[in-house]
Amino acid sequence: MATLQYILKRLLLMIPTFLLVMIIIFMLVRLLPGDPAIAIAGDRASDADLAAIRERLGLNQSLWVQFWQFVSNTLQGDLGRSILMRAPVIEVISNRLPTTLFLTIYAVLLSLLIAGPLAFVAALNRGRWPDALIRTVFQIGLSMPVFYIGLILLTFLAAQLRWFPVGGYGETFGERLYHLFLPAVAVALYTSAIIMRNLRSAIIEVVDAEYVQFARAKGLPTRQILGRHVLRNALISTVTLLGLSIGNLMSGTLVTETVFAVPGVGRLMLEAIFARDYPLIQGLTLTFALLVSVVFLLTDLVQSMLDPRMRLT
Amino acid sequence: MTFAAALLATATALPAIGQERGGILNFARYDGSNLIDPIYAERNPDIWMVSSLFDTLLRIDADGRTIVPGLAESFEAAEDGSAVTLTLREGLTFSDGTALTPEDVAFSLDRARNPDLSPWAGLLGNIDSVTHDGNRITLAMKAPDPTILSMLATFTTGIVSKAAFDAAAGDSDQEKSAAIFAQASAGVGSGPFYLCGFEQGTSMDFCANTHYWRDGADGAPLPYLEGVHFEIIPDDATRVLKLQAGEVDAAEFIPFSRVAELEADPTINMNLFPSTRIIYAPINSRATRADGSPNPLTDPKVRQALNYATNKEALIGLVLQGAGKPMTSPLMAAATQLSTQTDPLYGYDIEKAKALVEEAGLAPGTEITFTTLAGSADDGTIFAALQQMWAPLGIKLSVEQVDNATRGAKNRSGEFDIHTYGWVNDVNDPSQVVGWLGYTPTANAVGTGWEDATFNSLFEASASEMNPETRADQYAQMQQIYAEAAPLLFLYETPFAVAVSDAVEGYVQTPLGNNQFDEATVSR
Repeated sequence: MATLQYILKRLLLMIPTFLLVMIIIFMLVRLLPGDPAIAIAGDRASDADLAAIRERLGLNQSLWVQFWQFVSNTLQGDLGRSILMRAPVIEVISNRLPTTLFLTIYAVLLSLLIAGPLAFVAALNRGRWPDALIRTVFQIGLSMPVFYIGLILLTFLAAQLRWFPVGGYGETFGERLYHLFLPAVAVALYTSAIIMRNLRSAIIEVVDAEYVQFARAKGLPTRQILGRHVLRNALISTVTLLGLSIGNLMSGTLVTETVFAVPGVGRLMLEAIFARDYPLIQGLTLTFALLVSVVFLLTDLVQSMLDPRMRLT
Repeated sequence: MTFAAALLATATALPAIGQERGGILNFARYDGSNLIDPIYAERNPDIWMVSSLFDTLLRIDADGRTIVPGLAESFEAAEDGSAVTLTLREGLTFSDGTALTPEDVAFSLDRARNPDLSPWAGLLGNIDSVTHDGNRITLAMKAPDPTILSMLATFTTGIVSKAAFDAAAGDSDQEKSAAIFAQASAGVGSGPFYLCGFEQGTSMDFCANTHYWRDGADGAPLPYLEGVHFEIIPDDATRVLKLQAGEVDAAEFIPFSRVAELEADPTINMNLFPSTRIIYAPINSRATRADGSPNPLTDPKVRQALNYATNKEALIGLVLQGAGKPMTSPLMAAATQLSTQTDPLYGYDIEKAKALVEEAGLAPGTEITFTTLAGSADDGTIFAALQQMWAPLGIKLSVEQVDNATRGAKNRSGEFDIHTYGWVNDVNDPSQVVGWLGYTPTANAVGTGWEDATFNSLFEASASEMNPETRADQYAQMQQIYAEAAPLLFLYETPFAVAVSDAVEGYVQTPLGNNQFDEATVSR
């Protein structure tokens, strides 16, 4: 019951958050120099053409009128029409969102698969060569830009060895796993490096903790100690970190989707910004905000399940 | 085997004709189309696809200049410029098999010249009415227009099916057009292909129009291909990798830094198609800058000095790896009609540049800002080179990096000293580019604020000059005035770089940028 109440409270809290996001993004987009009308009609258009386009799009109305329309339409579930794509924003986003969600979830799972076991190996070999090796490799991964990692993966694993396709995203579930493997790895490397570091120190901390020393003294098998005590406790901070990383992962898709020619919302956001497609930028920002809010809520719920001491208030 | 079938079998097997037919060509594009409609296509990725789906009454020959019959088998322009008559070919059909009639032509041209609908209506502003009698179509002109034949060969006059439009969902013309495009099934055009698949931002499919009127070398209707599959791959490096991996047959907009590498690849044909593309840098020529301070670039001598101090050959080497040539006409590419000069403009001459700067009394250490596109490697290189090249003139060049939309806004408001820009002709006639670069009322001489009364009146006179020689002379004078005034830093012309696998033949990108697949083949 408490959990349900908590969720309701959090959902209610999202309303002011969203209002704030709407105000900020509305103002920010309009503070950008450049004009959607020029983006549509091209630099060559005459002033009369541009004026006509502005009128058609309602851009010649006062900011207050435009903002009020944006808010009231959004509340009615209408995000407007994309200037660039000439289609309803909701339709454009919902066409592209599944691909990005697939890629993000894929990248999260890969991050955990990569970071989890290696964190254990590193922590349990603290100070010895496997630890040093793993940490060095991840340090390099952390310091390389995603697009660069992407291009290296594409050049060697796709173009030269031809193990993977260079672009595209497939149709069936299996094809998607195959097509999106390289992009997911490119996005996951950064996150996995962060998670690995955090998980490693968390494990070390827990291993050194008195209750583990006690369990060990009692003669419990290492496996049980690791599984029941170490992992569970070390995971708490990792879950938080993973939740926080989702935002990072989603912004990572902006670059990855362009390099790997994956038609998701990340690439869409870039296109929208370059074209000053106000309705689409607004719609995408709200979508990102919604996704991040949901992820944060889920993170908190998972955390409270892992650690009953954490009260949901 | 019937006689006809036997004949067909022999014909297709004949090595003398040997025309490869069938197959899908996979083409990697740098950007996707949002709407392919002759009158609404506004961005190059849309415009350059129009001619594959919508044929025009007249066509431009392979040389990029001569006008030849298209859907109209013959045409005649009255000498006084009062009318143009065209005779439509017999038996023309749209890709859905319905007949293409003079009504469709009138419908399409009326649509194209309607300023409430089309952003390109101005190109056809001199047409007074479109009427037809049998297969003869008459355009009555409000005023003589020397460009009218070129316009009838321009994408925006592509013929669309009136019936398909009337039947489409939606209340307005715009909605109907979008509905037809979104359906991606019915044939409404008369080009060599029709749109048969479309996924926003991902891919697009063209299928062969089996009713197309032009015949190939083997006597059967074009196109040779069964279809073209387009994939949108915005990243340059990925597009090249995709071609190298054999996942696509062709990739466009190859970065010039990769041209040599692809030329060396025996399985790839690296094409550098002649284009009307020019790269230049508008120089703010107003007396004062946007902030009210005096503008050192208002003196033509300073602008000439900048041109002399710029080593274009060196820039072409640095930016294009040699795949380009210096501008010879100040207003257009050498491939455009009425382009006069043949020698590079303002050959590198640093001594002359220094003398001009001294004559103009430019203070040493004068600061000038160069606005470039953020993220553009080419612009970065140009800036670094110019900073070096102009230092001997006592100019301190600083950089300001912006995105495309911001650059456009600055160009319009005049808040810049110099910025990079480029142009590709939409029309096979120089009036459009000359209006843009030099004529004040169109765009403030490409935002530079430069104004010359003689130039403006020459341009206005040329707009209705029906004597080709007089018109050519007017253009020659305008080019001379413009070159001397130098409101631009005249840089270079670049070709269209398209790499195709050696299985592909006959693909052409025209000087205007149109992608032509009608005579392309792919052998598997």
